[in-house]
Amino acid sequence: MFATSLAIRRRILGTGALVAGIFGFIATLLPIDSIALPLFARQTGQNCVSCHAGGQFPELTPYGRKFKLTGYTMGERATVPLALMGVVSSTRIDNTSTGVASTDFPSNGKLEFTTMSVLCCGKITDNLGVFAQWTYDVYDHQNDQNRWVALPHIDQFDMRYADRFIDANRDLIFGVSLNNNPTVSDVWNTHNNAFTPVPTYVPAANSVATYAGAVPMDVAAPYLEGEGQMAGGLTAYAFLNNSIYAEIGFYRNVRGALSFMNASHYDAIGYPSKMQGSNPYWRLAYNKDWGANSAMIGLHGMNADVYSDPTNTGSSIVKFRDVGIDGQYQYILDPHVVTAMFSYTHEKQSYPTDQLGILADNASNKLDYLRLKGTYVYQAKYGAALAYTSAKGSNDPTLWGSVSGVTDSRLWAPEVFWMPVQYVRVGLQYYKWTQFNGAKTNYDGNGRNASDNNSLFFYVWGAY
Amino acid sequence: MQRISVTLVMALAVFGAACTNLERSRDLANPAIPPAVTAVQVCSNCHGVDGNSVSPNFPRLAGQQEAYIVAQLENFRSHNRSDPAGYEYMWGIARHLTDDQIKGLGEYYSKQIPKPIGQVDAKQLALGKQIFEQGVPDKETAPCMACHGPDAAGLATFPRLAWQHQDYLLKQLHVFQDTEGRPGTPMKQITHLLTHQEMESVAGYLQAFPMSVGK
Repeated sequence: MFATSLAIRRRILGTGALVAGIFGFIATLLPIDSIALPLFARQTGQNCVSCHAGGQFPELTPYGRKFKLTGYTMGERATVPLALMGVVSSTRIDNTSTGVASTDFPSNGKLEFTTMSVLCCGKITDNLGVFAQWTYDVYDHQNDQNRWVALPHIDQFDMRYADRFIDANRDLIFGVSLNNNPTVSDVWNTHNNAFTPVPTYVPAANSVATYAGAVPMDVAAPYLEGEGQMAGGLTAYAFLNNSIYAEIGFYRNVRGALSFMNASHYDAIGYPSKMQGSNPYWRLAYNKDWGANSAMIGLHGMNADVYSDPTNTGSSIVKFRDVGIDGQYQYILDPHVVTAMFSYTHEKQSYPTDQLGILADNASNKLDYLRLKGTYVYQAKYGAALAYTSAKGSNDPTLWGSVSGVTDSRLWAPEVFWMPVQYVRVGLQYYKWTQFNGAKTNYDGNGRNASDNNSLFFYVWGAY
Repeated sequence: MQRISVTLVMALAVFGAACTNLERSRDLANPAIPPAVTAVQVCSNCHGVDGNSVSPNFPRLAGQQEAYIVAQLENFRSHNRSDPAGYEYMWGIARHLTDDQIKGLGEYYSKQIPKPIGQVDAKQLALGKQIFEQGVPDKETAPCMACHGPDAAGLATFPRLAWQHQDYLLKQLHVFQDTEGRPGTPMKQITHLLTHQEMESVAGYLQAFPMSVGK
């Protein structure tokens, strides 16, 4: 046990040193300058509202989408390409009593420093730019003594090379992105963090389940949405005449020089999954801007072949086939900003015969995942949001670990927030579970109800 | 896949570090970037390649007076213009542009062909036309056409107003009336007593300016 811990610690330190080295190397390429605001604002000299709808993260404006698609290269190189981001928050869950005191979230209702990120981002050359984030989560996971453990780990990483051919008759942006999270390269924010109605990288909907201790670690989500920071991917994309967007790429497990892309976090808790070979991700979208409006409708998908035993590359393969539709509407006309978005993903899961009764009861299962979110921001200071998430899967008690045999979770998450200045946000959210892991009441067989996981979340987010 | 990724990333890094892409750069601190490149690679994101912006958040620049564009960019660069639309978006864009680049950008957009936007409320048109042509004498508001010309095409540092976004014009009229964000123009005095309805009407009339006149 001790030797294992030492090895893990060495690996973490080694990976941390590698990432620090990369950041440091990039930093040496850049001249020295003053630091006042988060990185992209420093690079462009513009206010956050230029790129983020109503100044809120991470939802992008049409202008922000162009900034990202052109590889974060607009503006001038920041001298010290580092920024800090932190969250102080308090989570109060309606009922932490799980019957096992050691698994209760120890800081329920307390105001605490919960997470911090170091970001290294921005223009490197006229065609090359990067968004890299290293995060320290105070309550990352529980160890085998049920103690909560803090860990630094890689967060979002997106390095891209882009070019743009534009004249009066044609506008073609194209590029390649090396990233560690399917959909992080996307510019419409209809996946992952965008539906978490809080600033990115803070304890959110899924974590609430974790905090409740004995409840399942997570609400079921498609593979496409659950692979954050685990895989390495290379995608190529093109955006033609501000209307047609296409992206295709492949994701796989990373090793060697690229292992920083999933560094630390999953080394520490063990791989939840490990992919076989290169796994395709694709995305198509149609965009239209008119007046103060911008709308997108799109399709997305991913095929992933995953080892049934992440520690054994000779083990049988579980297949995930995700396909979905998503869309977004924005109205941006100062002082009003409205964003509405949806994402629906259907996943088919296929299990090999040697895993029936171990990972799943059925050879084939399905999962339908729906997310909706609407946001209104006034004067880039005052905002309100309402999000809804629904995950519904086929009947398979072994797969979902639920008493009812199905996974059926429904979450409503209203929020109000205030941004006194552009790099500080104060928010209050409420998570209301109307269904949790297959049932409204007694979902775990021990009398725990979905509403026991309802929680109030207060946070202060800041970046510098 | 992994070897390909590493090789590709290193190749791109070396290639990118070695080259400055003057023909398609989005660098705003390199005096060697031609203004026409900055116009299409950067300015077009908001103002359009041809200066006919889609979003009313951003003013149309097609056919705008070169001297006016130059003056505004200089004001952004010096922070002499500090209305929200100015400092939120343009201070950063203009902060390291050279005089030659500013002049080139003014020249680029002044040569673009303006396009009509669309009609507005008929009541606004009537009142707006009256203010544009006759002013509001009892409020000592001069007719717009006295400085901006009968075709609203502007002259030197008096900007072109025809086919400009109504929302942009209205916000700027309020900037003149309510703030000190755009000093050094007679507009503070001209808008001093105008009502919101009057400003909205004249802005609407200018957005829907008669096509036979506004070319």
